[in-house]
Amino acid sequence: MQFKQMTLSNGLVLIGEINPSAKTAAVGFFVRTGSRDETPEINGVSHFLEHMLFKGTDSLGALEVNEAFDRRGAQFNAFTSEENTVYYASVLPEYLLEITELWAELMRPALRDDDFDMEKNVIKEEIAMYEDTPTFDVIDRCRTLHYGSHPCGNSVLGTVASIDGMTADQMRQYFARRYAPNNMVVACSGNFDWGRFCATVEARCGRWQPQTVDRLLTDFEGTRASERLGKPSLNREHICLVHTGVSAQDPRRFAASLLSLIVGDEFGSRFYWALVDKAIAEAASMHFGPLDGTGIFYNYLRCSRAGVPRVMEIVAGIFRDLLRDGISEDELTKARNKVLSSLVIKNELPMGRLVDLGFNWMYLGQYRPVEDDVEAVRAVGVEEVNTLIRELDLSRFTQYSLGPAAA
Amino acid sequence: MEQKTDKYVLSNGMVLLGEPMGGVESVAFEFMLPAGAALMPDGACGAANVISDWVFRGAGGRDNRQLGDALDGLGVHRSDSVGSSHLCVGAALESSNLAEALTLHTDAILRAHLSDEEFAPARQLALEGVLALDDEPRQKVMLELRKRFYPAPLGRSTLGVIEDLERLDAGRVREIVRTRFDIGRTILSVAGKYDFDAVCGQVESLFGACESLDSGAVQVGTRTGGYTHIPSEGAQVHIGVMTDAVPFTGDDYYDIRVATSVLSGGMSARLFTEVREKRGLCYAIGARYHSLKDAAGIMCYAGTTPDKAQETLDVIIAEFRRLAEGIGDEELERAKVGLKSSLIMQSESSGSRAGAIGSDYYMLGRVRPLGEIAERINGATVDSIVAALKRKPFESFTVVTIGPREVRVE
Repeated sequence: MQFKQMTLSNGLVLIGEINPSAKTAAVGFFVRTGSRDETPEINGVSHFLEHMLFKGTDSLGALEVNEAFDRRGAQFNAFTSEENTVYYASVLPEYLLEITELWAELMRPALRDDDFDMEKNVIKEEIAMYEDTPTFDVIDRCRTLHYGSHPCGNSVLGTVASIDGMTADQMRQYFARRYAPNNMVVACSGNFDWGRFCATVEARCGRWQPQTVDRLLTDFEGTRASERLGKPSLNREHICLVHTGVSAQDPRRFAASLLSLIVGDEFGSRFYWALVDKAIAEAASMHFGPLDGTGIFYNYLRCSRAGVPRVMEIVAGIFRDLLRDGISEDELTKARNKVLSSLVIKNELPMGRLVDLGFNWMYLGQYRPVEDDVEAVRAVGVEEVNTLIRELDLSRFTQYSLGPAAA
Repeated sequence: MEQKTDKYVLSNGMVLLGEPMGGVESVAFEFMLPAGAALMPDGACGAANVISDWVFRGAGGRDNRQLGDALDGLGVHRSDSVGSSHLCVGAALESSNLAEALTLHTDAILRAHLSDEEFAPARQLALEGVLALDDEPRQKVMLELRKRFYPAPLGRSTLGVIEDLERLDAGRVREIVRTRFDIGRTILSVAGKYDFDAVCGQVESLFGACESLDSGAVQVGTRTGGYTHIPSEGAQVHIGVMTDAVPFTGDDYYDIRVATSVLSGGMSARLFTEVREKRGLCYAIGARYHSLKDAAGIMCYAGTTPDKAQETLDVIIAEFRRLAEGIGDEELERAKVGLKSSLIMQSESSGSRAGAIGSDYYMLGRVRPLGEIAERINGATVDSIVAALKRKPFESFTVVTIGPREVRVE
């Protein structure tokens, strides 16, 4: 593996990790913008804009864009989170430069009114789809409840009202502020030629003008509020608990990630043995969600309505025991093995590698070879995790439940 | 595309397949046991789902907790699933732990404790999974669609049905394990970094003494088909549509795969363009080819708000029918490139290769080299596809909807 980096005079950062034995290459444009960078009037604009980039440029229509990707057999897509919008494609090496050039071109979209109006329908369908997906919906609602007035509580999709009220002009203004070269990173991994990759990006993006871009970077304790919404369409109780976590820049992030596996991995965790193995809950998991300058843990539990008191009592007991007794060496070893084998499996694919490569630069401004992460995970000791448990106090959390409406 | 397949057949009939992959440290394996949902006795729909959990609740010299801890200690990523024909148990892991992981899985397959005490939670979890399906209409509509499309019992729900699960007892399910875990008809596939001689030696010592059973085949009944609406007060109408296609083993297989890619391969394919890009009817829309050994279809999903449901279904059906009228040269080329490119991308993952070679062997009795697949895809032409679609036209559609409004189906 060979790492390369360069910065264009307008601030656009290019990074690459070359693996000549890979059968494919992956390229991604990482934009430091998401729902936390929005105001209430334009809530959902980052995600809507992600859709609009596929609608083309002044010289390229939407159907031509899709054809251009498909003609090269690219597996391509994009996603928007609270703080990032990422466009990516995985391709055979011979198409890498053409696909990189296509993405670069799309980063300066036409944002046409008629495309904007048509795509509103698709966005509203996406909102409706997630309304019918309680596993997603409950986590989204709980994050919003947890963050209260902090911008990380903003919904990524927005609401039907905010989407209906949004104008194409508002989107254009937001685009001009956020898609500045000094607010983006272009990353490439797998089998590719660094020099030709840089030349391709520079030719397309070298004349983009930098902007002053900022982001509110305060941390937040969390509201620790509790709410429930009953829906006639639901059969099970879906519960999300959000704890305050640590940020993507925090050195304790490796301990946090191991802690989430010890507490709530799909198999073999404390949740698993106390809840799922005994069929008290059908699903119980904990995930660590590091963000820019802040972070959360979110827990997801699914059970019958009648089973809720027992499930919550057991969960409270698990958090209490962790605070009192900490974790064991044996638990940590197992969690470490799981993380290490995930790292191996994920990083064997250029596409899997691309995401870590891009985010390490976005959050830390540094390149981290896989070996550094392996080393950092190996170095975490029991006491480090136990200190984190005491600092975070898992007994206090924000709770949101979605479940059957009262009869 | 360089590729090699290792193969070893035990005297009892069990088949071991391997595909070595360069430049990887991981390995993945999968046991395909002939104990899928369609092979469960009548009145025991869901038993395979219970079994896939129960066999890991203590096996060999380890109790439930010890077996779980041992698997966790190896850092394995477990992947257990129930399909129509097979119950699959497998894992992906760092290659140095392969031998130990195979030993633990063999315990679960041959020496599971299957205790009464552990049966109750295994069955309860299966029941809870079926109840939770009501909250996931996108997943439920496709299970309901397969149930009605395939002749019974091939399309049976792999999760099970409440009435059957409630009636199951430990004794009955133990008997199913005894008669259906037929090692002589089991396929084990391995892909990634491994030493084939070592794996053969180990598998011979683990399974060599097992005798083949006469576990019998499925008696196929009739198809329900038609249109079914399941009322629900959700935000969208979830639409599932399925129509006949030649199976994996059929002569026209590659023509139909390319045709499906024209319909729904990438974002420039017809369904995405007509339903989403031009009309804004849906966010999620897509179709894929789905094949069992002797029956196959193209299955399509769309989710849309109630006012748009009828138009969405009408556009989908019209697009299926329009395929036989002809295909443009460029869209044919895009469909082929897309299929070939995803083939290469999947070949980079040990997990997806282990699954693919096992499934090839079950369907065809051999593993197709990637080069052969690419060549057959290249061989499809507009004429050959249209001829294949005329030999087996999309005549009838099985349709299921879940949501607040019904649609009309001609």
